[in-house]
Amino acid sequence: MRSRCRQTELQRTIAGVVVAALAGTGCGAGAEQTALEVWAHAGQESERRVLREQVSRFDALHPRLRVRLTFLPEGSYTGQVQAAAIAGDLPDLLELDGPFVADVAWQGDLLPLDGRLDPGLLDDLLPSVVTQGTWAGHLWAVGAFDSGLAIWARRSALVEAGIRIPQGPDDAWTGDELDAALDALARTDPDGAVLDLKLNYRDEWFTYGFAPLLTSAGGGLLDPGPPPHAGGVLDAAPSVAALQRVQGWIAAGRIDPNLDDLAFVSGRVALSWVGHWEAPRYRRAWGDDLVLVPLPDLGRGSRTGEGSWVWAIAADGRQTDDVIALLQFLLSPDQVRATVAANGAVPARRSAIRPSDPWAPGGRLHLYLAQLEGGFAVPRPRTPAYAAVTGAFAEAFLAIRDGADVRRALTRAAAAIDRDVADNQGYPVTDAMRRRWEAER
Amino acid sequence: MKGAAEERAAWMLATPALLGMAVFILLPFAAAVALSLTDARLGSPLPLHLVGPVHYLRLLTDPGFLRALANTAGFAAAAVPLQTGLALALALAVNRETRASALARTLFFLPVVFPLSLVSVLWTLLYAPSGPVARVLATLTLGVWQPGDVLHDPWLALPAVLVTSVWQGAGFQMVILLAGLQSIPDDLYEAAALDGAGAWRRFRSITLPMLRGRLVVVAIVTSILSFRLFDQVRIMTRGGPDGATATVVWEAVRAAFDQAQLARGSAMSILLVVAVLAITLAVGRLRGEEA
Repeated sequence: MRSRCRQTELQRTIAGVVVAALAGTGCGAGAEQTALEVWAHAGQESERRVLREQVSRFDALHPRLRVRLTFLPEGSYTGQVQAAAIAGDLPDLLELDGPFVADVAWQGDLLPLDGRLDPGLLDDLLPSVVTQGTWAGHLWAVGAFDSGLAIWARRSALVEAGIRIPQGPDDAWTGDELDAALDALARTDPDGAVLDLKLNYRDEWFTYGFAPLLTSAGGGLLDPGPPPHAGGVLDAAPSVAALQRVQGWIAAGRIDPNLDDLAFVSGRVALSWVGHWEAPRYRRAWGDDLVLVPLPDLGRGSRTGEGSWVWAIAADGRQTDDVIALLQFLLSPDQVRATVAANGAVPARRSAIRPSDPWAPGGRLHLYLAQLEGGFAVPRPRTPAYAAVTGAFAEAFLAIRDGADVRRALTRAAAAIDRDVADNQGYPVTDAMRRRWEAER
Repeated sequence: MKGAAEERAAWMLATPALLGMAVFILLPFAAAVALSLTDARLGSPLPLHLVGPVHYLRLLTDPGFLRALANTAGFAAAAVPLQTGLALALALAVNRETRASALARTLFFLPVVFPLSLVSVLWTLLYAPSGPVARVLATLTLGVWQPGDVLHDPWLALPAVLVTSVWQGAGFQMVILLAGLQSIPDDLYEAAALDGAGAWRRFRSITLPMLRGRLVVVAIVTSILSFRLFDQVRIMTRGGPDGATATVVWEAVRAAFDQAQLARGSAMSILLVVAVLAITLAVGRLRGEEA
């Protein structure tokens, strides 16, 4: 993967001889170039196009290097990375879904980035991006953007129902205020369903979208430990109360099931609890009537989600300097602007934001940036146990949505997570790992 | 002397197949048994420990897994008679040498050629809340059927997956049964007709007994395929709503690959193999007793 001819892999294939002959001719042709293997998730067409353009710009700047970009389907991306890691076939630079970084790092497949990136770049990054990429005292991954989570509302509907419009993350509705707002909106709504929680989404959405609510109530998904444990956190009274509130909204008919994903754009609901990715579509539907408000404050302040796709470097790479150059290029302000222009996320660098941008103070998306900069965003648990955490929580959330007893569902989820942690001896960071990471710095 | 030479030749001829079975079936199976008794986790940097039958004991008391087991068994119990019955009906319908029946055979067999993933996506669209299936049902029931999200309905999701599977699979069983039908000598039917046997009597006393061997094969193959139910679940429902369509293979893949719990996933697949083996043996014994 790192050498031009990839001989060892070819020998493994059944038709090794034939393929090796073919590859041999290919190797001869571009002998002066070094290939950099890059994997990314296949997002929207616009995102893929921008990344392809960025890669060819990098190639043009570095005639000695040639980037080979591979897109893998998003649905199975983490699984494919896992398989490649076990086979020792990771690319030089790879995209990872933020919360899974700790797992891949724990397995010994990533290179610590401490001290390898330009200090100016690190100072310029949003704190949430550094937090998400840090685990066990090392920085493992950095993204060009971060995500934003809040509630989109139709201003006219709020005004008509006499509902206060929060001005920033520290001015959020309390839980009771949101309850009252839902009731007030429901009084004039034909079907009484006034809030969209994107119940049509799957799996990871529930952890991303609703774990902040638990934190705001004083609960959470996991105590990071060591060893990490969910019992006494995920099934504690504040977490239970937070999801009982959500279950109450569903039981009262305040939540649109949103099977067609049109609840907000068609005007069926006045509020939509969703990530930044809906901003363009909602803007086309409602224009300047839109207002972005923070998630409710259930006692400890409004809390919201963060984290998205990030770049990491495989541990056994032999061309680290070249890969770092590529990573720094992808994180340069101009490239960050190109990336977020394609995917609508929040730029990861402050210097990439211009005063006329929607994220800038006074802009219509400024809340996203204010939440990420002001410490209102909580990363999903950074632990190798994350796969078990999110799997158990999503399952519990779906059961709660269907009316299951909240305490019992969360107790079962906490037990499943703690069992996974125990099965892996607490996911220890051993001295051998620490020594290796120090040596790689 | 000749017997020994023949035996040697037989072993030689069978060797490639046996080798293939050993490498691709026996070896992975033995590995799964071994892994299921350890604390193996995909990609773990920790050393492997033998933990004994812990995962089996946990699974057999885990409500989620037991639900998946029940779903799988229920699915198989419904799919086997439905699919075999439909295949038999189709085979009888196209068992004529006309141009129309040749066309019908091709059409009935067509879904078998489609990849399961394609079929699943197709039916997901057909099942959409205001999609074709909902509209047809509403028209047929004069509006009694309210269009809803079939694949998110706790009672309808599994039957919906079942319909997809039967639709996709019946064509193949039809071909097996059709071959059986065409191997039944016509003079049996002629003699029965002369003796005054009606169409139903001829079907019951000639067709069914002559087809029995093939019907058993079809039933066994269908039940094994039903126990492996995964693709449709992965694409159409992802085990939901709230576990209503979770199957053993779905749970095993989720455990082993989504959550990296390799040992737990292995234990699930071993339990599945044991269940399938038990059923196959039971059906085989039943068949032996009948013969």
